Amino acid sequence: MTEILRVNGVSKHFGGLMAVNDVSFSINQGETLGLMGPNGAGKTTLINLITGKYLTDTGDIQFMGHDITRLAPYKRCKLGISRTYQIPRPFPELTALMSVAVSALYGKDRENQSLEDAATEATHYLEFCGLFSKRNVLGKDLTLFEARGLELARALATTPKLIFVDEVMAGLNPGEAMKAVRLLERAKEEFGVTILWIEHVMAALMKAAQRVVVLHYGKKIAEGPPQEIANDPYVIECYLGSCHA
Amino acid sequence: MEFEVKREKLVLRAGKQKFEWHIEPRYWRNPLIYVGLLFLLPIVTYFLYPQMLPTIIDANLLAAIAIPLGWMTLGTGRMNFGPQFFIGAGGYAAALCSIHLGWPPAVTLLVAIVTGIIFGLLMSPLAILSGGLYYTLLTLLFPLVFLEVTFIYTDIFKGDTGLFGVAPMINVGSFTLNQLMICLLSLLMMLLYMFIVDKITRSKFSASLAAINDDEEVAAAMGVNVNKMKIISFAIPATMIAVIGWFYAHYYSTFSGITYLPLTFMLKVLMVSMIGGRVQIYGNVVGGYFIAFLELLLGMVVGDYAQVVFPIILLVLLLSLPEGLFGLYRKRRYREYLPTLHVRR
Repeated sequence: MTEILRVNGVSKHFGGLMAVNDVSFSINQGETLGLMGPNGAGKTTLINLITGKYLTDTGDIQFMGHDITRLAPYKRCKLGISRTYQIPRPFPELTALMSVAVSALYGKDRENQSLEDAATEATHYLEFCGLFSKRNVLGKDLTLFEARGLELARALATTPKLIFVDEVMAGLNPGEAMKAVRLLERAKEEFGVTILWIEHVMAALMKAAQRVVVLHYGKKIAEGPPQEIANDPYVIECYLGSCHA
Repeated sequence: MEFEVKREKLVLRAGKQKFEWHIEPRYWRNPLIYVGLLFLLPIVTYFLYPQMLPTIIDANLLAAIAIPLGWMTLGTGRMNFGPQFFIGAGGYAAALCSIHLGWPPAVTLLVAIVTGIIFGLLMSPLAILSGGLYYTLLTLLFPLVFLEVTFIYTDIFKGDTGLFGVAPMINVGSFTLNQLMICLLSLLMMLLYMFIVDKITRSKFSASLAAINDDEEVAAAMGVNVNKMKIISFAIPATMIAVIGWFYAHYYSTFSGITYLPLTFMLKVLMVSMIGGRVQIYGNVVGGYFIAFLELLLGMVVGDYAQVVFPIILLVLLLSLPEGLFGLYRKRRYREYLPTLHVRR
């Protein structure tokens, strides 16, 4: 399998806090990689480093042969990196249709694409995420589940090669969570995207991920198939304490 | 660059870019009626009560300042509290060139445009580096510092007496006819600004501006070049506002910073923007006329107390009409090809 993303010895500190400490891993094309770790382990910071919100202190990030370590976030997006947020961040004053149209317009440099062309394309992604009937609803008026769907539609509209999904199941009831997982699986099949999935719900990762990377206090402590990770004594200790390990 | 009319749409192709706008003559009636009324007002006033022409000019110019200010607010996602800085820059540049170099208004217009571009570009990093309240305070500070500069360098800017002897914009012999011509010119300028900003807020460019206004970080993650958009949305409106400074200088044949740079003028401009509804281009016209005529009316009715009563009335209106006067109309007559771009800040 072709390697799509390689993270080499990436570190980031905020003042005295080492949020990400010398983390290295890679993702292969078409793979679903799980990223897990207790709260504050540095998962979201790692995503922020790869998507360009923060710049790394040390290390480098290679995406499809390009060194993106110092690239601006919008350039990383145009190369094919997209993301969703742990706490959904839909554009509050934009309708669902316009939110996705923005991604369709700017996510990739397309020739001869007007706003209306983008809006037409956006309807396809909204339909895919089951939000077509909500196309004229403002972002702030969507429910949590709908907002997560909108984030996925927005991310897909940029025609990404790699999507970072940040705790898609958080705050959803079991039925909604299952729908969200199925949606991700369908997105992977239909659009051929590679997924890096942050999740606390182990059952979901066990089913969906081919490999899992575990972070603890900013350091990578384990990497391997989900079954192996679930039985790793150190991972169990980090999550549940030494008496359960 | 090529234009094409295709299936009731005006299509503009520039390189690899494509822009589309609807052309639907069945919706032209109301705008044409309103534009006709705006032209009719100064002509009727000229014959019936020519003393009111300066108020109409004021209204047009206030609206012409508020329209690009709306674009700036949308595109930077921040409220600029010092648009009058650019009026000062454009006005002083035009006045100084007219007095010292004897350049005619057509040439000083170019000077004002260049000045606007330079100051717009120089100040545009503010919209990237500072956010929220800091941006507002910094933009508030610039005109006041500029005002101090005009007092310090009195030999250049002539302090509070201002620069005299600027070449008049139009001279047809009669004072009232001059006023009518200037009034029509100010109206044309306001309509031109309205047309430009309207086309921009209906183009794909506006989608990125609205996204920046809502959440810069997410907009960048979705591929929008936030810094570039902010610089464009700061520098071009700044230039448009600087041209109003040129207009003031040649309209009054004098230019004084004390008239435009203090907070009182800024208050008027912001009120136009608020009363009309933020980033409501047509609302700014309503706001401009409302503020100019309210000021005139209060001056006639309460005299010197107008300075106190005027802000109180505006505050009451702001609290009771959060979406502005034009918001009332829009609620009743809602029609959009694409969902509306709202503005949060």
